[in-house]
Amino acid sequence: MVTVTRRGYIGLPVERTDAIEKAQGKAQYVDDLRRPDMWYGAVVRSPVSHGFIEGLDRDPDFDWSRVVLVTPEDIPGRNVVESLVHDMPFLASQEVRYRGEPVALVAAPTREAARAAAAAVKPRIRAAPSLTVPDDVVRIYKEGGELEYLWRQDIRKGDIERGFREAEIVVEREYRTGYAEQLYLEPQGMIAVPQEDGGVLIEGSMQCPYYVHPELCALLNLPPEKVRVRQTVVGGAFGGKEDFPSLIAGYCALLALKSGRAVKMVFDREEDILFTTKRHPSWVRHRTGLTRDGRITGWQVDFLLIGGAYATLSPVVLARGIIHATIGYRCDNVLIEGRVVRTHMPPSGAFRGFGAPQAFWALESHVDELAEACGMRPDEFRLRNAYRGGDTMATGQKVPEEYGGPAVLRKALEQSRFEARFAHCSRGSTLTDRWYGIGLAYFCHGAGFTGDGEARIKARAAVELAGGGEGGPLVVIRASSTEMGQGAQTVLRQIVAEALGVPIESVSYPLPDTALVPDSGPTVASRTTMVVGAVLYDAAVAMKKALEGFVSQQFFDGADCVLEEAVFRSGSGQAVDFERAVQDYLRTAERQQRFEAVFSLPPGSQWDQENFRGDAYPDYSWACYVAEVEVERATLAIRPIRVTAVLDIGRVVNPVLAEGQVEGGLVQGLGYAMMEKVGVRDGLFEADRLQTYIVPGVLDIPEIRITFLEFPYRYSGPGAKGLGELPLNGVAPAIGNALKHAVGRRIHDLPLTPEKLFRAIEERLVEQ
Amino acid sequence: MNTESAGEKGLGHGWIRRTWVVNGEEVSLSVPPLRRVLDILREELGLTGTKEGCGEGECGTCTILVDDRPVCSCLLVAAQVPDGSRILTIEGLSAMEEGRILEAAYVEAGAVQCGFCIPGMLMASYALLRRNGKPTDAEIREAIAGNICRCTGYVKIVEAIRLAAERIGRAPAGK
Repeated sequence: MVTVTRRGYIGLPVERTDAIEKAQGKAQYVDDLRRPDMWYGAVVRSPVSHGFIEGLDRDPDFDWSRVVLVTPEDIPGRNVVESLVHDMPFLASQEVRYRGEPVALVAAPTREAARAAAAAVKPRIRAAPSLTVPDDVVRIYKEGGELEYLWRQDIRKGDIERGFREAEIVVEREYRTGYAEQLYLEPQGMIAVPQEDGGVLIEGSMQCPYYVHPELCALLNLPPEKVRVRQTVVGGAFGGKEDFPSLIAGYCALLALKSGRAVKMVFDREEDILFTTKRHPSWVRHRTGLTRDGRITGWQVDFLLIGGAYATLSPVVLARGIIHATIGYRCDNVLIEGRVVRTHMPPSGAFRGFGAPQAFWALESHVDELAEACGMRPDEFRLRNAYRGGDTMATGQKVPEEYGGPAVLRKALEQSRFEARFAHCSRGSTLTDRWYGIGLAYFCHGAGFTGDGEARIKARAAVELAGGGEGGPLVVIRASSTEMGQGAQTVLRQIVAEALGVPIESVSYPLPDTALVPDSGPTVASRTTMVVGAVLYDAAVAMKKALEGFVSQQFFDGADCVLEEAVFRSGSGQAVDFERAVQDYLRTAERQQRFEAVFSLPPGSQWDQENFRGDAYPDYSWACYVAEVEVERATLAIRPIRVTAVLDIGRVVNPVLAEGQVEGGLVQGLGYAMMEKVGVRDGLFEADRLQTYIVPGVLDIPEIRITFLEFPYRYSGPGAKGLGELPLNGVAPAIGNALKHAVGRRIHDLPLTPEKLFRAIEERLVEQ
Repeated sequence: MNTESAGEKGLGHGWIRRTWVVNGEEVSLSVPPLRRVLDILREELGLTGTKEGCGEGECGTCTILVDDRPVCSCLLVAAQVPDGSRILTIEGLSAMEEGRILEAAYVEAGAVQCGFCIPGMLMASYALLRRNGKPTDAEIREAIAGNICRCTGYVKIVEAIRLAAERIGRAPAGK
């Protein structure tokens, strides 16, 4: 069900711009592109998890005549990924810190030849001790052993000692999650083309052209104008193409500049799973003080993420994780201690939710346990403790008088008939062969970059007037936000068309090219529709005003006019067509063609990055999921039967696309909850292919009921908040809670598998 | 159309010659016997609409029809496909009435996001509809059970196939 307000194009289920080309197989993904005289690249990787490089041997029997080899000495600029913490080299030159870490690169005329050449380069490495298995990390941490931290951050509110002095009940539990793979269907890939001026053109699959651009300038020692980065059609990303593309772009560029040819590198599935980023495994301990009547007096959270070999994006993943660790519930005394542990595995990175899914797995499982501890139903406990207007979050951010949280919670409970169905949960009864359970999760997602992120980025985006003609566009969007399947290209066009008062067909949004677009910030953090949409709306309003002023002078003798539905009309009824006005306007070259705007935070926003105090996000999207599951008693097969989803994402710009985001995120979350599992063996991810890394197929999905409630973002024209990540955040705890009420036992670590259920039930039998 | 493998002249050592009907057109090629049909389509014939998702027959992204049966072209090598076989790819389906109806239904239902799985999904949808014009929801799900989509959660893909089935059923020349 969709109940959204419509205002012109905002709220209209416009069909996607890019859908037909994709459906016809005509859309060009990076591996569909060829460039003249193009070679293929491959990576030479470390065979050990940790060690020191003593040299690289080249197999003397291999034919090296048509191979280009790049080693760290060939790097013209800085051999470091600048990202946030400058700790990761493009190519390891002394110490290798994970198995598979790149140590050299090769290019050859064919894919096969490149792979054979890479295999013929043997790094000589003196092996050193390594730490790779997440369970070992947790054991060492709990024993107080020595670990290296990539990052630490705490959040403090009130007086934690007092919080526990006032408590009548204390509940302490641990929750865990493992690695997870984004599994975008299109693997990572790039092409680098050397340019005549000594520069390089990069084309490929990426979320953030302006992450790649500065990295390459530094790596290649080139000025900004000599590096050009162009996005190709992206076949899914989910965070996996946030920071990693900088590496593969760097590899292609180094090979292209050394060989003087275009070089393409596209990973096969195994290489992609083994050596690109995963979701951080987590271990979270909640210790919570309560009064008997269910008030939370004190809340202490230990939040541990496994970061892998280098920091990369971990500081921000941790930030989002700890900010969401207790979010949604009133408590005056909070202490959250966050840490990212260094290990000898590939760097953990961005994956839809970015720390929040780990936080909510722990939080929403724990809140169910808190309810039980004080004899309340899970819904009662949540309604009693949900923020009210004027409350403060753990960071001190003030909750607005009206916000979407309580509304989505109540609506989901009502639609799912939670109370009545909760009474019918099987709770492991031996009187039935099929157990039934219902459970809920109440959650949110901070929309936009975390903390000082948006203030630092100062997202810019522009709209430009174009000549039209031959059915060409009259207005072109210039932004670095990428279409990766989520619908940005369509939704941002809707926003601009709405702000201008022209048909959406007049507005085009080509794939970003750093030579043409300003830095709108990365396409991450559920920020595109909310933040870049707000900026484009303002830019389009400025364009509209300029055009109205022009038409008023040029056509209406100075009488005011308004542009609506592609026609300028004056008060006295005179009318001029949009296309004609634009063409007239452009006849004089000095008139302003490009209208740019910058994002500004809500008035009075404050953030203290050192102490994590203040307004962590410009706004929050809220949701409640109610999941119903059945468990076959004989086999312990778990089947999710229905999910009732109620979400507040602010103004819904395109209801069909929004539903698609919820359905997709929900099913991806279902994989995280029940199926997707990556172990570690000998320093490698154990599930390295689709036969062993199992993601949901169409037969695994439950009935999904979606409702949107709109509590718009008050500080932008479109009023949209974040959507992309929210739908994944709450799936696992909703299913986990439903499973608990079906079976009578709680599983504290993901994924929720029949094997774990079997062990949990065995434990109960032993206890009895 | 006569095509030979990239960069080589004539029949390489141990290569085989094959004549297939690809998207209605007769194609003769000289290829290594173990060359994957997926690579032949994409690299030799320039039919890049067929995508590679996993390379081991798990994701269905590279689905094509060989003599009307849906198969993963990453698991099929040249030697396995006899002369005279009829191969249909997304480029061929696009040129057919049923293909246009299916594409339009996918677009309207909002079933396309990143789009990488969609050509394979459409091939599997077409394979279903040509043998079963009025599929139930369970039959639709069964037909695409071998195709992974990581974006949509499948809801709108099932809707799209349902919609296309109704329309093809109504189309005068449709099967």
